[in-house]
Amino acid sequence: KRTGKVLGFDDKLPVIGASVVIRGSSLGAITDVNGSFTLTLKATDVLVVSYVGYDTQEFTVGDAAAPVIKLHPASRSLNEVVVTGYSSQRKKDITGAVAVVNVTNLKAVPSGSTESLLQGQASGVTVVSSGAPGSASNIKIRGITSVGSTDPLVIVDGTPGSLHDLNVNDIQSIQVLKDAGSAAIYGVRGSNGVVIVTTKKGKVGTPVITYDAYYGTQRPNSKGWNLANPTETAKAIWQEYKNDGLAPVHKQYGSGPEPVVPDYITPTAGKNGDPNTNPDTYALYSNQITKANKQGTDWFHEIFKPAPMQSHSLSVSGGTDKSAYLFSLGYLDQQGTLIETMLKRYSLRVNTSYKVKDHIRLGENLYAFYKQNPGYTNLPGVNSTNAINASYRIPNIIPVYDIMGNYAGAGSQSLGNAPNPVAIQKRTKDYKNDDWQISGNAYAEVDFLKKFTARSSFGGTVDYFYNNAFVFTGYENAENSTNPNSYIENYGFSTSWTWTNTLNYKDTFGKHSINVLIGSEAIKNLGNAVGASRGNYYLTNPNNLTVDPNLWTLNFGESGTQTNANIVNPAGQQTPYQLALYSLFGRFDYNYNDKYLLSGTLRRDGASVFATNNRYGVFPSVTGGWRISGEQFMKKVDWINDLKIRAGWGKLGSISNINSTNAFTLYGQGAVLSYYDIAGSSNHATQGLYISQFGNPNTSWEEDIITNIGFDATIIKNKVDMSFEVYKKSINGLLFPAALPSTAGGAAAPFINAGNIENKGIDAAVTYHGSIGTDFKMDLTGTFTTYDNKVVSLPKGTAYLDIGSGGSSTTYSRLQPGHPVGAFFGYKVIGIFQNAAEVSSAPTQDAAAPGRFRYQDVNGDGKIDASDRTFFGNPNPKFTSGLNIGASYKNFDFLLFLYASVGNDVLNIVRASTDFPQQFDVAISKDAVYNSWTPDRPNAKVPMLERSSNFSNTTFSSYYDESGSYLRFKTMVLGYTIPALKLKRIGIEKLRLFIQGTNLFTITKYSGLDPELPGSNTSSTLFGIDGGAYPANQKTYTAGVNMSF
Amino acid sequence: LSAENVTSLTGVQGLLIGAYSVLDGEIGLANSVGFAYGSAGSNWVYGSVCADDSYKGSTPTDQPDLVLLQTWSVSSANTSYVQQKWQMLFDGIQRSNEVLRVLPNVKDVSDADGKVIAGEARFLRAFYHFGGKIVFNNFPYVDESISVANNNLNVPNVDKSGKFIDIWPNIETDLKFAIDNLPEVQPQRGRANKSAAKAFLAKVYMFEHRYADAKPLLDQLISSGQTAGGQKYALVNFEDNFNAATKNSAESVFAYQASVNDGSQLNGNYGDVLNFPNGPGAPGGCCGFNNPSFNLANAFKTDANGLPLLDTWNNGNVVSDSSNLYTGNLDPRIDWTMGRPGVPYFDWGPDSKQWIRDPATNGVFSPKKNVYAKSQAGTYSSTETAFWGATSIDANNVNFIRFADIILWDAECEVEIGSLNQAEVYVNQIRNRAADPAGWVYASGSYNAGNSKYSSQTKPADKYKVSAYPTGTFTTQGQAYARKAVQFERRLELAMEGHRFFDLQRWDNGTGTMAQILNTYQQVEKNRNSFYYTNPTAQFHKGINEYFPIPQKQIDVENSTGQVNLKQNPGYN
Repeated sequence: KRTGKVLGFDDKLPVIGASVVIRGSSLGAITDVNGSFTLTLKATDVLVVSYVGYDTQEFTVGDAAAPVIKLHPASRSLNEVVVTGYSSQRKKDITGAVAVVNVTNLKAVPSGSTESLLQGQASGVTVVSSGAPGSASNIKIRGITSVGSTDPLVIVDGTPGSLHDLNVNDIQSIQVLKDAGSAAIYGVRGSNGVVIVTTKKGKVGTPVITYDAYYGTQRPNSKGWNLANPTETAKAIWQEYKNDGLAPVHKQYGSGPEPVVPDYITPTAGKNGDPNTNPDTYALYSNQITKANKQGTDWFHEIFKPAPMQSHSLSVSGGTDKSAYLFSLGYLDQQGTLIETMLKRYSLRVNTSYKVKDHIRLGENLYAFYKQNPGYTNLPGVNSTNAINASYRIPNIIPVYDIMGNYAGAGSQSLGNAPNPVAIQKRTKDYKNDDWQISGNAYAEVDFLKKFTARSSFGGTVDYFYNNAFVFTGYENAENSTNPNSYIENYGFSTSWTWTNTLNYKDTFGKHSINVLIGSEAIKNLGNAVGASRGNYYLTNPNNLTVDPNLWTLNFGESGTQTNANIVNPAGQQTPYQLALYSLFGRFDYNYNDKYLLSGTLRRDGASVFATNNRYGVFPSVTGGWRISGEQFMKKVDWINDLKIRAGWGKLGSISNINSTNAFTLYGQGAVLSYYDIAGSSNHATQGLYISQFGNPNTSWEEDIITNIGFDATIIKNKVDMSFEVYKKSINGLLFPAALPSTAGGAAAPFINAGNIENKGIDAAVTYHGSIGTDFKMDLTGTFTTYDNKVVSLPKGTAYLDIGSGGSSTTYSRLQPGHPVGAFFGYKVIGIFQNAAEVSSAPTQDAAAPGRFRYQDVNGDGKIDASDRTFFGNPNPKFTSGLNIGASYKNFDFLLFLYASVGNDVLNIVRASTDFPQQFDVAISKDAVYNSWTPDRPNAKVPMLERSSNFSNTTFSSYYDESGSYLRFKTMVLGYTIPALKLKRIGIEKLRLFIQGTNLFTITKYSGLDPELPGSNTSSTLFGIDGGAYPANQKTYTAGVNMSF
Repeated sequence: LSAENVTSLTGVQGLLIGAYSVLDGEIGLANSVGFAYGSAGSNWVYGSVCADDSYKGSTPTDQPDLVLLQTWSVSSANTSYVQQKWQMLFDGIQRSNEVLRVLPNVKDVSDADGKVIAGEARFLRAFYHFGGKIVFNNFPYVDESISVANNNLNVPNVDKSGKFIDIWPNIETDLKFAIDNLPEVQPQRGRANKSAAKAFLAKVYMFEHRYADAKPLLDQLISSGQTAGGQKYALVNFEDNFNAATKNSAESVFAYQASVNDGSQLNGNYGDVLNFPNGPGAPGGCCGFNNPSFNLANAFKTDANGLPLLDTWNNGNVVSDSSNLYTGNLDPRIDWTMGRPGVPYFDWGPDSKQWIRDPATNGVFSPKKNVYAKSQAGTYSSTETAFWGATSIDANNVNFIRFADIILWDAECEVEIGSLNQAEVYVNQIRNRAADPAGWVYASGSYNAGNSKYSSQTKPADKYKVSAYPTGTFTTQGQAYARKAVQFERRLELAMEGHRFFDLQRWDNGTGTMAQILNTYQQVEKNRNSFYYTNPTAQFHKGINEYFPIPQKQIDVENSTGQVNLKQNPGYN
């Protein structure tokens, strides 16, 4: 009898649970907690020692009394089993483009939006997030693949779901399917890529309790807006007049040769001691006494404050050979750095599985959460401005509060029209934005005839939301400060279910192994939402015109002002809606001798959104792989442990965010749009009708054809894993709302199949596993993503499609063959006119004058007009890259994550206000004060300050285009694991403490708050535009704990 | 709703109401063209601000698009305003067309009803095309054959040889059809009737300078024209035309029927929502746009005999200007046309200088014809809170044509092709109404919004003196004088109603008078606290600015096939 020990070669720690078998016999043992085993051995015995994650090792016993066997870690990733479309594969057998995300690295960043964590963790995936708690991120897998939403399909435990509100601690693994070979089995829904999430399951063994938590603080951007103080502002206003050759005059700053900053702004230009500065004369509307803030209010930091963040997650899991369970509770509380914004989420997960018989398995995965996430939005009643926009527009001579503690504002005359940002946010304090969601699935699997497995899964999501808002009468504003108050309440639900049935056949004969899967899937989505409002609520505090939140019900207020309607739900769908899909699919995998791999998929989808004649689409794919390292001639090349080249081709479809009634021309009714007081009653409108939507029965699938070539390699003693891919993705019949001339009338244009775009790109990932001595280990993972997007063609007869910003006719972007989607389009500034001679020798330009922009005469016809607009910027990055460095030394662990986005342009539209402040006498940038053109400052950055507007200072031009490249020190974690021995006594299995910092610094030349700018979730055609976005670069410092019992 | 659902009498009637509902120029905030000031039914942007009636108002570059328009910039084709106008007009046109497309398939409509429905639809189609013709001139004609289904939306404004197409004949055809098919009396007051169609056809002829065709129509309307409610056309108390409580009088030929608190938020006089005195406590409270000009105020000066100063009105002292205050006689209509410092503004108290948003550029006057009285707040002004500017939305109708228009057009016809004496009779009808002291503004007494009158009529608000021209003046002074007098009267009577620019355009007729009048106006006003103070180099370009540019966006879309379908108006970038 000898007692031996199994240790890890790298860490010298005992390997617990390793199997030790005497070759050629059935005798063996399992190592205990000390890595020890005891067997009766002869010197000639050969032990076969294996353990998951390590190379199986053979050990000849010899005369060792206490044999010590050191296991070499296997190439960790190759044998990993990866969940792909409707099945799972060993990673080394995968022939499509699948990125496996390192969940440990993913969890290192604290965030309430789980999808934002994918940033930089998987090659080919571009993620752009906002700093707002709970806001959705824009995810692009291999570039822009649609002009609608680019969000990938997310499959959670086999059922369509969402990453957004998942408890990150519940996640076992994440795979990203990027090419047609891997994603085509999802057919119509796969074109934006597929993210496959598997949640944790219970394991056989005694119950394990884990507790993971962190607490920390978030620090807003310290820079804020670069704005002039009141004295500088007044001087700049004087300069505006002087530049125009006019005598300055201003209600607050007087009319002398030099401006005078007043002591009070209400009464207008008030002086200390003026009779109506006496507090006794205070009256909200007629004399709201407000002192001037001569130093200047730092509005940015009045609304952005340090905020705490915490997360707690508790789970219990365990199982027997018949059943397994995992039960987890999560709590996340992220207060926003923008005051009165937050995300609170309470979540619950129950995953169970049962082995009813040896060949019958049942199980379910259930996730439920309740969250409170009052957003920051444009509110009715405040001139459609949000607090961040207001904070760079409101002049900083205005203090936050007047002398009585009520809000001060631009109601003090001639100080612009921006509302008080603090008031906007504080008035939202009692707003609710709640969401309840249950998602999950139940499944059954039956094995029969040894080689077949049938599986049926029914799952879905039920989501219910509620939000409300009370719009107060804002006495302090320049505009509409006497509007009656009003209250708005919205409710709605959305439901989706998916029923999937598959039959799997697996067989191995000789060196051949095959795997065949066929299946069917039915999906239905539906939802409804209503909104109602009333106005004129009874004031419970006449001094500040507020109404007690207890009166915020639809029973109070004036019944005559009530409205109700079906609304657009938070996901952007006009309700009610419904959508159904029915699909058949199949998959075939063939493997010869672990060397030659062939795989094919086929899916036929039917979607209710298309007219019957265009309803069905077929999406095939084929991929192949050759494991060169399996060939004899490669065995000699010892630095290559594994090398596989693979190639694939396939077709995917997309219905983008197409409206479910797209095929039909619809008539509608609407009080404002089609009702008319034909009888002249002054208070009653007769119902009328109008065409609300033009249908297009010819619209069909958007079709993506992807060709992918890549290789995976593990080299240098399994120390380096690498994966490299080149792809071309052609999107044909892009679904896009038709650009109709106004001669069509006002109805909504249908989605049409409008042209083709193409992405070409390279995804690369390299991981290095290294160690120095026995105590120091490190893992380095770099990801690299680049894509080149361009429009290939548009429908016949269409040379381009213009993309305006919402609510304005300004074209920011144009879709035109040869240019990328989202490319900025407008007049190109080539300088500032210096003198009259330069003006007269230049091409004719409206309102050309010294100090104003000189635009490029693109077509060289000697005059500047609409045909001189050109492409001048591209919001798509040239590449993005993430670098994860993980290291451990004894009981310390360390993680660092850097993220870079290079070559993306940003439109800094904020400067349209702060560099051209004359529109409302809004806040002025320091640049405009100190670096605007005068004859003495010929190389100025900002053109001449002016009092009026003209072709130079109101036209959209390349002036706003800036480089948005950045390198961000995204996160750093330092952890310490308390040695287990000391903890055993108090019943703790494992205890790790860590501190963490996020966004420690960002290197960028961008002059705005943050170059990371999410676009819209529903359209990919306008992004990289900064009109005052919630910055994503707040620094976060947290401390946390991971424990298990 | 699908096509089957609307192919019925009630369906087609509903579609017709939908076509009427665009008359205010409001096409829904969600329509991705933004706030529809540029398409306001009252045409205040094009008709008043771009002429010499009013300044843009507000802070110097609030609504920068409007600055470009008011400075007659040749680079204004990109402004959202012209896009809104263009879009709104085609919304109205296509809604009218949809009635005509659906109507032939409707089984349950009698021939008689069908004729009336078609008549109203073609009247509205003509109305919207007319709006496009005078603003854009080279505006394409879109009938019911143009549709998404027919894939023929790139309607050109040029023929194959590249020459602009004249759509006046198409508009005339529609109006003639309407005249032939519409009854005089309609079940509702807001509908177009036969007289309204005749009035519009006369208006078309006036724009074509076809006085011989216009005159018989106008004569008929004066002798026997009637409202859709069956009232014979007549001049009523002046202010009744601008008061929601007294609207749809015998003087209202065709108007947008504004309504408030009807669940729509915006069916009131939405297009003029900015045009209220500014500041807390002011009527409406926001936003200080469309301030009447000093030039316009001066036009209301009268001489010792109560006659206008046809040539010298803008000389000397300035009405309501504190530095060189005019103290002479005034036409009393001034104080219903604009708020003046110190003069009672309905029952809101005396007009306050605090209501002027930017004293350096807004002058001292506030708009008034679109504003409601304090006692009408809540009944004729909106309390619907879902829209930010509820207190600036009221039920004041937008008068497209009122009877005074017809009388003054006929006066023009008489000057050009008829009797100067008769022209004088018409002008004096208008002046005699203005001279009625019962309809003046009084410094004493209280204002009764129910009948638009002051109760104690002892102390007029200013030195009012207005008289008819002594009989025979026109004949004695000759045609040129008569023409000038008629044109001047038209300005005074219809000031701030969105007509001025188009009258100047019509009278110009290639002569350059419009450029001369507006450039003179700009030269004088730039030395006053007016819009042109900060835009001293603004210039009206003869042969260009008589019309507005075709929206660049539409040129881009319609010409994206590579073929020039829409050609920009001459002179615009």
